[in-house]
Amino acid sequence: MTGSTPSGIQEDDDLVFRRICGLLEPLNEKGVKLTRDVDLVADLEIDSVSVLDIVMDIEDYYDISIPVNTISETKTIGQLVDAIHAIKGQG
Amino acid sequence: MSLFDKFEKTAALYNGLSEMGKNPFTVVMEEVLGPTRAKIKGRETVLAGTHNYLGQTFEPKAIAAAKEALDREGTGTTGSRFANGTFSGHRRIERDLADFLGLRHCVVFSTGYVANLGAIAGLIDPAEDVVLVDADCHACIYDGCSLSGAETIRFRHNDPESLDKRLARLDPKIKGKLVCIEGMYSMYGDVAPVKEFVEVAHRHGAYLLVDEAHSFGVYGKTGKGVCEADGVMDQIDFYSGTFSKALASIGGFVASNHPQAEYLRFSSRPYKFTASSSPSTIASATAALANIKETPALREKLWANAHRLHAALTQFGLKLASGPAPVISVLFPTREDAFAAWNFLLDAGVYVNMAIPPGTPGKESLLRLAVSSAHTNDDIDRLVAAYGAMADAFPSAKTPA
Repeated sequence: MTGSTPSGIQEDDDLVFRRICGLLEPLNEKGVKLTRDVDLVADLEIDSVSVLDIVMDIEDYYDISIPVNTISETKTIGQLVDAIHAIKGQG
Repeated sequence: MSLFDKFEKTAALYNGLSEMGKNPFTVVMEEVLGPTRAKIKGRETVLAGTHNYLGQTFEPKAIAAAKEALDREGTGTTGSRFANGTFSGHRRIERDLADFLGLRHCVVFSTGYVANLGAIAGLIDPAEDVVLVDADCHACIYDGCSLSGAETIRFRHNDPESLDKRLARLDPKIKGKLVCIEGMYSMYGDVAPVKEFVEVAHRHGAYLLVDEAHSFGVYGKTGKGVCEADGVMDQIDFYSGTFSKALASIGGFVASNHPQAEYLRFSSRPYKFTASSSPSTIASATAALANIKETPALREKLWANAHRLHAALTQFGLKLASGPAPVISVLFPTREDAFAAWNFLLDAGVYVNMAIPPGTPGKESLLRLAVSSAHTNDDIDRLVAAYGAMADAFPSAKTPA
């Protein structure tokens, strides 16, 4: 997507982060500022199934599969971004 | 920090519901008056929130069989299927179910929940297999995946193409692939395109498990379920079901044409480490199964009732989750509206189920009406009158004109 420039990973990281934030924003009823440290359930009060639904959108966008097991281990937006990068890296 | 801190949010939710009125999650059936009537809060109420699809909870032949088994074999087996808890009745119902379904093997478990847990965790090796699960599958399928410890991938609900993509993406090193779907889904009463799922799963060398908990006895020409209606009974790999709905007892089963399905008796911890169903529950389920075979009128009446109720609710302009089915769910935009409408119906002498996210497929809350062949014309008149009044009182439950 962003080529192999040294800044590629950082820029790509930012795109994944932004895509996730775009999907979370409609569910962000309390207007929490979205950062990597925000906890999906504790801070955004998004239920576990909604998180899984967002992940399905991400899967289809990037054409990757993210196991439910991986998602249940991620708590923050940053951890979810990292998990997606790890899986994209394998592919 | 205490063990109980995590309960506080849930407790606040449920206690809040109690303060607003009667709580749907603490209802007690004080006196059961028949297959479709009970006393709740001291008042005779029409039951439309049970899964007594074929009305067999008071089937005289089933009651007689249960009493006879109780007298002959006692109150309980005091052991698991694997040890001392297999009586001749457990073996007989396995044969009867296999015969009825036209599948060669059947393994009976203690509940429907346990059957799915046992099938998935018993079949799957977390080191080399994966499970692919429809997004709307019941909690017991997800819990079976957790118990198996295997990688679990979720695909879009009733979307064979979404499954196709996820199967295509799998690492070729993965050995076994199990796809899990349901026949009729219990929240919306919608039905899986099983035939298409068979094609996709088998094209990728995956096995298909279909949970027909809500559709067994209800769908298909002879009541075998959605797999029969779709003409694929002989093509699916595993069929799971429960005794607690159309058979009006307690128990569960997994049936298959694969001879190795018998090995679930050794590989499945939920088969080996929980007590088996008592002789009387097995006997009533056996009699209820025979009655399904002998009495197609049960299914015909169920569907006539379902069509009548669905047509009436549609005419009231209520927003329904799916077409005519034995489960008819009205969608509400907020939890508060659904809760108030649930109370409104109970006050009108009608009991239905309320479900709220994340227990529902979408963002909406719902009231679920489960139809029974035992619903009398009088029951249906009362249901229709109560829903009509509710539609007037809750415009948020209507589809925009």
